[in-house]
Amino acid sequence: MQKVNRGKLRAVASRETILYTLPALVLVALTIYVPFVLSGYYSLTEWNGIAKEPVFIGFENFKNIFAGNPAFLSALWFTTKYAFFFIILSNIGALTLAVALTRKYRLANTLRGMFFVPYIMSMTIVGFIWKFIFTQGFAKLAEFTGWGIWNLSWLGDANIAFWSVVIVGVWQSLGFYIVLYIAGLQAVPPDVLEAAQIDGANGRQRFFKVILPLLGPSITTCIFMSLTNSLKVFDIILALTKGGPGGATYSATLEIYREAFQNNNYGLGSAKAIIFFVIVLVITQLVLRFFERREVDL
Amino acid sequence: MKKLVSLALAIAMLLSLVTIASAADQVTINMFISQPEYADAVRALIDAYKEIAPDVTINYETTQNDYPTLLKTKINAGECPDIFSTTSGKEIGVYLEYSYNFADEPAAAAMQDSVRAVMMSGDEVHGFALKSNYFGIVYNKAIFDEVGITEFPTTTDAMIAACEKIAAAGYQPFSTGFAEWWVYKHVFQHFLNAASDNPAELVSKFIAGEAKIKDYPILYDNFFNFLDLAVQYGDAKPLETDLASEESAIGIGKAAMILGQGAWVEADIMNIDPEFQLGFNGYPVSDDPADCKVVSGSDQALRIYKDSKVLSSVLDFVNWWYTSDYGKNWFCDVAGVIPPLKDVKAPDMEVIKQGDALSATVGAGPVSVSYSTDSFHQAFGEILQAYVGGTLTKDEACAQIEQKWVELEGGN
Repeated sequence: MQKVNRGKLRAVASRETILYTLPALVLVALTIYVPFVLSGYYSLTEWNGIAKEPVFIGFENFKNIFAGNPAFLSALWFTTKYAFFFIILSNIGALTLAVALTRKYRLANTLRGMFFVPYIMSMTIVGFIWKFIFTQGFAKLAEFTGWGIWNLSWLGDANIAFWSVVIVGVWQSLGFYIVLYIAGLQAVPPDVLEAAQIDGANGRQRFFKVILPLLGPSITTCIFMSLTNSLKVFDIILALTKGGPGGATYSATLEIYREAFQNNNYGLGSAKAIIFFVIVLVITQLVLRFFERREVDL
Repeated sequence: MKKLVSLALAIAMLLSLVTIASAADQVTINMFISQPEYADAVRALIDAYKEIAPDVTINYETTQNDYPTLLKTKINAGECPDIFSTTSGKEIGVYLEYSYNFADEPAAAAMQDSVRAVMMSGDEVHGFALKSNYFGIVYNKAIFDEVGITEFPTTTDAMIAACEKIAAAGYQPFSTGFAEWWVYKHVFQHFLNAASDNPAELVSKFIAGEAKIKDYPILYDNFFNFLDLAVQYGDAKPLETDLASEESAIGIGKAAMILGQGAWVEADIMNIDPEFQLGFNGYPVSDDPADCKVVSGSDQALRIYKDSKVLSSVLDFVNWWYTSDYGKNWFCDVAGVIPPLKDVKAPDMEVIKQGDALSATVGAGPVSVSYSTDSFHQAFGEILQAYVGGTLTKDEACAQIEQKWVELEGGN
């Protein structure tokens, strides 16, 4: 008797689980999986996004890209460079600031808030604010100080524009990684630190030999998040440079957008998107494995 | 509780019945167009039409940003607006399977020839315009007078001499706007018009890959020399100068000329300085002053959806706009734009007055920008930005431009 009842209960529970997750599943499927499958189909067609019927052309788009598509290659190279500097600068910067902000002094909480503010602003707005700073703001600074650095063409020079994008990207997201690192730092058990102190470890040794290894999970999370975020970079560039000057700051996502919507090559754009998806999938999995293997448990 | 629910349901059903009943004699036209700067004027037009045709509701939408992407989304969702925008010329063909040929309607007959010319597909008329336009160099007459230039420099050599004089007097000869991709296409069309008697044919040769820029000295030498001149005598950071900085540079009396602009900047400049003495002319594209022409026409087109469920109401509205007294005067009195119509009064603006005078004497060129789509023009602008920024040489830039013409326009 009891057995039957338990079976019934389990059936009800699993039915409820399915029922309650169904709305979310349907929405996710509609907004993510279905478009994904559709762009898989469009990547096999020649379509300008306007005509009523896409023309099926098999793997022509992929052949075209692998035969060497200079715009896509340079966008991939830009994204790689951006991701590299973004990950390094935002993680080192955030970790340093997190250590400083976990010290006990009066302004610590206010400062934490201040560093977090840019993160809650929309990327587009951040882009426009910095566009103003780079053009008008820096011009005024140049007038006051007479320093050459303010007079550089921060958005108008192909090489400097890259750094402008990196600086703004890091500035915007720093607050987010600071929060993650602060949480990690606060989770480091004080007794371990005390033990290290008693054993005669100095400040630097305590940080590099004790705290840093114990921060493993935070570092993995932050590296992973900064990696995916930097590979996806889009809106900041659109607001700051629109891919300019002279196409010098096209990221992979912006290049896909340009191919699909500006160049009216929806099929080719979809093919690029699929290829980029595979690249991102492989890179993120490799990085995740690498860092998880090196984490230290207490 | 149950009673309440059933009551609510009954009311909801009743309401839906009512809306169905009233929808029978109510017509809704969906109008989704670009050019948001005329939103207030278009709303006034719609209000005026509501008085003539109370049964017709025009659902007007516009957007500041990214119009083509939004239009494509709507079309692919099966919701093509009854009235939509594209650029004129080449893009008339791209959207042909959605647009209605209204060649036999009164509106088509009322249109100016220069405007209608870029709305055609064969003998069919597939677009109309919210305004006509003038493109050319806008300059500050006061600065020209002060440094002693009495006549606008209409040849290459005269322009170089003028720049030297203006710079020597402490003014900045040009503000270029080279951060905007569309400034390049506006400048380029003047050179294109001088390079060939039939610029439309020349562009189609480029698209077919049958022409080389090098074979046209006006493009290969004069156009690139002009860009060099503009950089030399232009802004300190050319690739950061956009439309707004051009307008402020000329409006505050710092720069003598601005590039890539036309009738649309006059109001903004007069807002900065109501006393501004505005001059308007073509580009010095060669040694022949007769080649220095302004460009007139419309680079934007409004289109009527072919399979619209309310097609006859849409046509009534467009015909009313183009032929009724209110509609005809709307261009001048409400929108303050150059009317795209024949024999209709124009607003009291310097660009229009001087443009009309120049058209009557030296003539005006066609809107050659419209022979290529903006897909090409954005790539074109980027390539020239790279040239201005020094990352591409002239020959590399020419090769890339020729390649983009074939790549982006060949298929369409």
